[in-house]
Amino acid sequence: MRTSEITKRPVVTMAGEDVAQVKDIIYAAGGGSVGGFTLAGRGLFAGPLKEGLAWSSVSALGADAVMIRDEFVLQPTKAILEASRASGGSGANVLGSQVLSDAGLDLGVVRDVIVSVDQATGGHCDVVGYEIEASEALGTQGEKVLIPLPDTIAASGEHLMVPASAKEFVGRDLAGFGAAVDAFRAQLGGAS
Amino acid sequence: MLFSDAKGRQVVSSSTAATVGKVSRFLVDPRSRAVAGVELKKTSNGDMLRWSDITAFGADAVTVTGEDKIGDGGESLKALSGKAHRVLGKRVLTSTGDELGKLVDIDFDPASGALTTLLVDSGTDVPGDRLLGIGSYAVVVRDDG
Repeated sequence: MRTSEITKRPVVTMAGEDVAQVKDIIYAAGGGSVGGFTLAGRGLFAGPLKEGLAWSSVSALGADAVMIRDEFVLQPTKAILEASRASGGSGANVLGSQVLSDAGLDLGVVRDVIVSVDQATGGHCDVVGYEIEASEALGTQGEKVLIPLPDTIAASGEHLMVPASAKEFVGRDLAGFGAAVDAFRAQLGGAS
Repeated sequence: MLFSDAKGRQVVSSSTAATVGKVSRFLVDPRSRAVAGVELKKTSNGDMLRWSDITAFGADAVTVTGEDKIGDGGESLKALSGKAHRVLGKRVLTSTGDELGKLVDIDFDPASGALTTLLVDSGTDVPGDRLLGIGSYAVVVRDDG
């Protein structure tokens, strides 16, 4: 799912109380996975909360809500940010970054981040792709397309480096994108 | 028996045969997944009746041994009577964070008070034993996997 769809989503306990809403995504492992969320209070005038939600405390990330066991799983945002930094997480925002292939082609500009919850790895929330505004190189200039990502990527805050072959796995909608990511990663795995 | 059918039913004292109130609302305990009590109207004093004080929840009337069973319900019922614990009309979320719709009615067993089915406006029926919580934001039910 797109991370832009996760922000503002309510954080709801199993007892049915909406204790917060997602403000922003905290990335971990060099931007390759989601480490947690910063939170804001519910309601029109509620500001940001000092407490955040670590990904390990998320019971489920659904289409309509982020489910947690109870309000006691929230922890200080600072601690989550530090943990994500320790894992090599770039706090830098990738939105607006230019995506370059390792062949030196400008593929486009990041507009959204696509994540997927992988049950196989114990519910790890993986960053699997970006929605980019395509450049000339993709032949669909100006359109928004989905580009799959390898497990690890190089990001500088200015540029994002992806293997040139990512170009071959560009998708147009989220249905079927998961398969494209798998195929792309399988190809990379086979090559190395 | 549906909440909507049982609403408005007379509560009759078996000692005096007088009508002592009418069923107005159901108070549901999400932990036991059962009706914990009913809120009444048209009573002379107090408006709460504990499920354990009901002699029978019949097809035509609810019977109690005496009017003295109706009171403030004690702490446990008071805690369930707030707006946050009302169930009908509330959104239904699964434990995986997906919304099923709004809860329109509940089917319960008049003998035990146990909830048998939660009826959602989308047409999805959720077995009562999947209820996890009732809060101010939503009624949470276990995902059926």
